[in-house]
Amino acid sequence: MIEATALSRQFGNFVAVDNVNLNVPDGAILALLGPNGAGKTTTVRMLAGLMAPSSGSANVAGYDVVRDPAAVRARIGLVTDVPGLYAQMTLPDYLEFFGKIYGLSGPILRQRVAGLIEFFELSEHQHERMVGFSKGMKQKVALARALLHEPSVLFLDEPTSGLDPLAARAVRELIVGLKHARRTIVLCTHDLGEAERLADEIAIIQRGRIVAHGSPAGLRLGATPDTLVRIELAQPVPAALAAIAGHARVSAPDESLASGRTVLSFRTPCPDAVNPEIIGELVGLGARIVSVNCETRSLEDVYSAMVGEQPLAIGSDIPGMLIGKGSEN
Amino acid sequence: MLQPNVLESPVVSPLRPPSDLRVMFLIARRGSVEALRDRMTVMMSLFFALILPLVLVVAVLLPLKNDQSSLERVLAIYVLIIGLMPASSAIGIASGQFAGEKEQGNLTPLLASPASNLAIFGGKVVCAVAPSIIFSLAAEVCYLIYLTLFLGIDTLRLLPPGISLAMIVLVPVTSLFAAIVASLISSRVRTFNTAQQVSGLALIPLWAVVIGLSFKLQDWGTLAVVAMVAGLALIDLALTVASAKTWRREEVLSKQ
Repeated sequence: MIEATALSRQFGNFVAVDNVNLNVPDGAILALLGPNGAGKTTTVRMLAGLMAPSSGSANVAGYDVVRDPAAVRARIGLVTDVPGLYAQMTLPDYLEFFGKIYGLSGPILRQRVAGLIEFFELSEHQHERMVGFSKGMKQKVALARALLHEPSVLFLDEPTSGLDPLAARAVRELIVGLKHARRTIVLCTHDLGEAERLADEIAIIQRGRIVAHGSPAGLRLGATPDTLVRIELAQPVPAALAAIAGHARVSAPDESLASGRTVLSFRTPCPDAVNPEIIGELVGLGARIVSVNCETRSLEDVYSAMVGEQPLAIGSDIPGMLIGKGSEN
Repeated sequence: MLQPNVLESPVVSPLRPPSDLRVMFLIARRGSVEALRDRMTVMMSLFFALILPLVLVVAVLLPLKNDQSSLERVLAIYVLIIGLMPASSAIGIASGQFAGEKEQGNLTPLLASPASNLAIFGGKVVCAVAPSIIFSLAAEVCYLIYLTLFLGIDTLRLLPPGISLAMIVLVPVTSLFAAIVASLISSRVRTFNTAQQVSGLALIPLWAVVIGLSFKLQDWGTLAVVAMVAGLALIDLALTVASAKTWRREEVLSKQ
């Protein structure tokens, strides 16, 4: 479990992390999103007992990160974007070295190392020095190292960075498995799809502050309840747009041409009810419907809006709805 | 694709962490083995241990073969010079231990472990100094062999036992000082090259002072050289304790 209250960290006059509040229960995955330099790594370092906060407090796996950072470090596993291996060592030597530092020894250590090597399908490489390992293999070794001492909390910073799709999928499967084994996981990633698939909660950090915090679905819904509906017609129907605009729960009706076909679009908060009615009316007007496409706001749209890099594709009311769930609560 | 046995492991309470001394040993052993696998370090150390004593004996001491008084004066000081040359590799190894590992990104896992600051810093200092001491010892043995081969076994009798022994002890004591200073510098800069350059600049004067003082103190007798060794050993001890107490892992991270 992770609890952080008003966690802040300054480097001179620069505020790297500003008043961050987090609460991640056992068996939950929190994804930390944000641009480079937003404060994700500093937040993780403070929570991992690697760096003392300038102010605020945090409790990780039952221990205070300020008063007992060594106890915190003994109970967490950390994987950074760079695997950070001693490349001249063999895999078993490397894992045994870290196992001993964490207090494992004898048959338990050997069993654990052998189990992880088998688990990560690295058995055939265990006699080779790790200098020749691929990025994916190195990342697996880093994960094995982080799991050696069976930590209750895991900090994974870009764990799938640079991995091929199959290796990345394997790592994601592992993360889900670890969650089911009641590990608390903090996942720093730039892969919004990965965050959406894996995380129970997402916190978006910008300039050291949490600017949005909630479940992936909550963030999307909080951004706007509207669904954008596009209906493609085989040929124009003069009364179609007026029919759509006549609906009470429809906004921003529009008609355009795309690839020589008429596309009608509108927004609605309740597509389940509105779409069948409108489609029925259009068919009644003689429209030949080619396709119907519904789009909710993606996490990428929410993220772009929060970090201020791109204008919103749909709606414009995101920030006010989301700020405060994380940092202000 | 992944077998589930590892995932089924229960979340257990952590094991009792090993003592600082044990962790220090583990870090020192790993680092030393890695340093001895580095071809450049080994080649440089072998040159200093095997070739340089030969060059010095042949080029400097052999011409003095018939000048016993001059030979007597320089034989002991060459024990120190020849021992200190391979010890310079301690600077390179120490530079690699913090700054080098930071550059390669493999320092963070160790810093994220429950190992204490004392164990990490102490382990890295020992790992920097241990291989260099092995090569220094080899250099001293080679020196004695070359003296015997080129100047005859009787030349060994010209080595003053007390001062020679003090010179031999001075080698690890000076190497340790160099390793501590280089480790401190290495933990506070960003790159391996910077660490090596700053350490070199800081420690070359030390080498000169130690050799110069030893040369002078020989005239005052064995006790003066022993006092110098004891003094430097005390400085080492104080510096080790002070460094380990003041060194902070977050300082290392903040330089990344």
